[in-house]
Amino acid sequence: MASDVSRRDFLLMCAVASGAPLAGLDPGPAVAADAPKKGGTLRVAFYIEAATMDPHLSGSKIDRQVYHNIYEPLVTLDVRLGIKPGLAESWQQPDPKTLILKLRRGVKFHDGTEFNAEAARFNFNRMKTEPKSVRKGEVASIDSVDVVDAYSIKLNLKRPDAALLATLTDRAGMMVSPKVAQERGAELERNAKGAGTGPFEFVEWVKDDHILIKRNESYWNRQGGPYLDRVRYRPIPDDTVKLQSLQTGEIDVMDYVQPRDVAAVKADRNVVVVDVPSLADFAYQLNHARPPFNTKALRQAVAYALDLEQIVKGVWLNVGVPANGPIPPTSWAYDRSIPPIRRDLAKSKARLAEGGQPNGFAFTMTTNNIPINVQEAEVIQAQLREAGITMKIKLVDSATLISDGNNKNFEMISYQWSGRPDPDGNTYQFYKTTQGTSLNWSGISNPQIDALLDRTREVANQAERKKLFSDLTKILQDELPMVFIVHPIEPKAFSPKVRGYEPIPDGMMRFKDVWLQ
Amino acid sequence: MLRRAARARLAPFGAGVVLLAVLVALTAPLLAPYDPLAQNLGNTLARPGRAHLLGTDNVGRDVLSRVIWGTRVSLVAGLVAVAIAVVAGSLLGVVAGYCGGRVDGLVMRLMDAVLSFPPLVLALALGAVLGAGLTGVLVALGVVYTPTFARLMRGQVLTINARDYVEAARALGAPGWRVAWRHVVPNAANPIIVQASLSVAFAILAEASLSFLGLGIQPPQASWGSMINAGRGYLQQAPWIVFGPGAALFVTVVGLNFVGDAVRDALDPRTRA
Amino acid sequence: MGRLVLRRLGATVPVLLLVTAGVFALLHLTPGDPIDVMMAESVDAEVKENLRRELGLDRPLYVQYAAWMGRLLRGDLGRSIRNGEPVVESVSRRLRPSLELALLAMTVSLVIAFPVGIVCAVRRNTPIDRAGATFAVFGICMPNFLLALLLIFFFGVTLRWLPISGYTDPLEEGWNGLRSLVLPAVTLGLALAAVVTRTLRSSVLEALAEDYVRTARAKGLSEWRVIQAHVLKNALIPVVTVLGLQLGTLIGGAVITEYVFALPGVGRLVVDAVFARDYPLVQGVVLLIAVGFILSNLIVDVLYGWIDPRIRSR
Repeated sequence: MASDVSRRDFLLMCAVASGAPLAGLDPGPAVAADAPKKGGTLRVAFYIEAATMDPHLSGSKIDRQVYHNIYEPLVTLDVRLGIKPGLAESWQQPDPKTLILKLRRGVKFHDGTEFNAEAARFNFNRMKTEPKSVRKGEVASIDSVDVVDAYSIKLNLKRPDAALLATLTDRAGMMVSPKVAQERGAELERNAKGAGTGPFEFVEWVKDDHILIKRNESYWNRQGGPYLDRVRYRPIPDDTVKLQSLQTGEIDVMDYVQPRDVAAVKADRNVVVVDVPSLADFAYQLNHARPPFNTKALRQAVAYALDLEQIVKGVWLNVGVPANGPIPPTSWAYDRSIPPIRRDLAKSKARLAEGGQPNGFAFTMTTNNIPINVQEAEVIQAQLREAGITMKIKLVDSATLISDGNNKNFEMISYQWSGRPDPDGNTYQFYKTTQGTSLNWSGISNPQIDALLDRTREVANQAERKKLFSDLTKILQDELPMVFIVHPIEPKAFSPKVRGYEPIPDGMMRFKDVWLQ
Repeated sequence: MLRRAARARLAPFGAGVVLLAVLVALTAPLLAPYDPLAQNLGNTLARPGRAHLLGTDNVGRDVLSRVIWGTRVSLVAGLVAVAIAVVAGSLLGVVAGYCGGRVDGLVMRLMDAVLSFPPLVLALALGAVLGAGLTGVLVALGVVYTPTFARLMRGQVLTINARDYVEAARALGAPGWRVAWRHVVPNAANPIIVQASLSVAFAILAEASLSFLGLGIQPPQASWGSMINAGRGYLQQAPWIVFGPGAALFVTVVGLNFVGDAVRDALDPRTRA
Repeated sequence: MGRLVLRRLGATVPVLLLVTAGVFALLHLTPGDPIDVMMAESVDAEVKENLRRELGLDRPLYVQYAAWMGRLLRGDLGRSIRNGEPVVESVSRRLRPSLELALLAMTVSLVIAFPVGIVCAVRRNTPIDRAGATFAVFGICMPNFLLALLLIFFFGVTLRWLPISGYTDPLEEGWNGLRSLVLPAVTLGLALAAVVTRTLRSSVLEALAEDYVRTARAKGLSEWRVIQAHVLKNALIPVVTVLGLQLGTLIGGAVITEYVFALPGVGRLVVDAVFARDYPLVQGVVLLIAVGFILSNLIVDVLYGWIDPRIRSR
């Protein structure tokens, strides 16, 4: 998943990042002053079938699209990635190892049971103890959960965790009806009836065909929507077919427009494109444990040989921005004063000589067998050739890619991270020294980086954290565990009759205030 | 007779196409107007015109030059896959036909198993096991076509074995393998050649289908199928990326088919109507 | 007859053993792991290990195979790793669109092949016949992925006559369902039509040369009457054979067509399962496809013997 950024889009992204007015992000017609109207079924297309309806067992990105309409997290994100109240009305942190959440009153799960402090504690315990829980790592910093009163809970932390609130904006903060979870057990994976508190209720999931949700008539938030009667999700794996389905009116919303289609779709009056800046970070990990990239100078030779501007323009068609590091422009921690590494063939040559390969060297890049990755690989290959570096391309399916990465069986490997709202999620697990399998595929182990990373978790002050992440970015540009390529935009496309969509950079489509004209 | 005459008119056309394809494959470096790998990101998806007769692709490469170079890949793929199948299939067929009994049963059950295996799954898995690239796909296609040749060869061996001159040779004390090599193989060659010439066309199609799913040849090299795959996302904006290799593929396969039919008519007396 | 069927059924057992062992070995040789695919973005090694243990993926390969075989003998194909659904359920859900598509494709092929094949045979060696033969070659040589793209391009995008993706069950929504299957059925049906046309043409020709046809003609029956009454019945046998043999291939092998048109069929199921390294699902589907293939062969043979008793003696 990726996208690219035209100059205009880039300015918009900066606008988002800096908090400038956001009206420009909305598609023209969608901000028309018509009064929202109830009714209708919204037909949404995804690139793949969902995996499970249980947010605590979900390891697949696509599931979250549905979850954000039927479940609700304790806190949510605003357009600028700030944290705003969700099922928790407010929160306070008396000390770095304690987080007290005040819960909203009068919220009911779809099965009629009440949401309260006991329910919240049940959920945290479930995430921590359920054998199949995929959330364990995300809530690892939570030691225990106390019920303070009927509507407030206290999270006792093992260590300071500045990123915890941001983590609670997604699946780790989503509250499931304890009654449903206990009574339905594993069946919850297929049937989420009554399980959530969100603006929509789960109706049915006909595998390989559709997931249907309907309006929650007794939703706690009386402001705005939900307006839609129903939302029907459908998997359409082929991008071209998906787009054509939108153009021919078979669907109303598609989750992602390929960069190659953006220009054409923007010219089509039957389709409205919304550029949603993402949290993603697309890069290539370099294996520090084996030649040639165990030599720092050779890593730098590759980095200086790459022309990111050209890649972003030619491959991503500007549906993204050149990356200066792992933190996307949408984040408060993004440091605009650090430029992406610029192409400099003379420097590249010098580094080659320094690394003992004055006449260049050869290596293999492993990448996913999907069209835009192939295209990017071909362009990189051509750029490196100009610097005297020979790159072979090895195309693999994603299972092989992950296996090669985990086993450090690569020289350079594509890594496309969908991103997390807090910069911690884009950094710590990739650059912290770790034994065994981890997302630190490059195998980088650098005491200075380790110390910086630990510090970012302890410091609560945002400005101070931003400074730490800037320092980190500069070191990463020198040490190069990865060569950073692009922060993509993830454009979504709508039928013009879809109104009221608000793009949040996490890419999730929340339909509470969406209506059909 | 008349029908053969009708076919006879198609055969030269087919032969012409095949000859042309072979020629193009051999002289690709001379023929191609551009380097098939030379990118020009400033001139992507250019319409067909005087500079680029078939337009340019998504990284600005000349489609015509890539179609020309792709001829090599496609032809080689078809020939190699069929060659693997002919060699493996014939050997297995001879062994099965000669040894009979348990060996025969085992070999033929193995062939049945291959036949009832979904070919695409075989190709996917073999591709992953043998590592990405054309090799995996060629081996997979070879394996898929092997049973056809094995069955054919076994049938031939059984028929020919029963003939007088073979029995005579054996009676004179010639060792089994020699009888096989001297008498059986040459006599079984015709149907194998007929089947092989027909199979090449389908092997080229199959390689293209697998390339269409992203298996096979690794970038930046291209086969016709992989070009169609890369171009399918641009069908609306730049259909020439698909049409160029699509036309080349279609015409070549049609030509090979005509030639295959002609070879069959010439070598297989039974189809002479 | 019964004994023949039994013997043939007996012979399928070793074939199926080879197929399942082959799939098993190939799959496990393939790099990648279902748990890693499922939890691509999770770092929690402990969770992954627990899951592997729970699913028995940490045991030696032969133990896993034996366990799978043991369950199979009790009629249990296991559950998908990705979503925990019983394999039998996944497959039976996917079987319906695949079957409908296959039958519709056959219908398309017959609608084309019948008139073309018969006319070509009756008017043999005329320009009509040659046109028919050329059509057949073109149909056989047209790559189905290319045909699918062209059909989508013209009928879906340019003319907007037909839906280009997705599946609506014709048994539930009748007309809409049929519409959703038209383009994929034509994609598959055209190539099949080419094969059937060839087969029908030559079998009609053969039948026309038979004595009883000459007798019928001598009785003064019109040519069309002769074909209706005497030729077609006999000429149908090879056509039934071809279609029967294709049925298995159409159900499990329409992967590309199912992919391009986003149809939830068996072919796509197995490829997706391979990509997800969903071992039990791949094994189950491949086994069922193989069984289907073998059975359709068997049924064709039996039908053959039933339609034409002369063959039984072979």
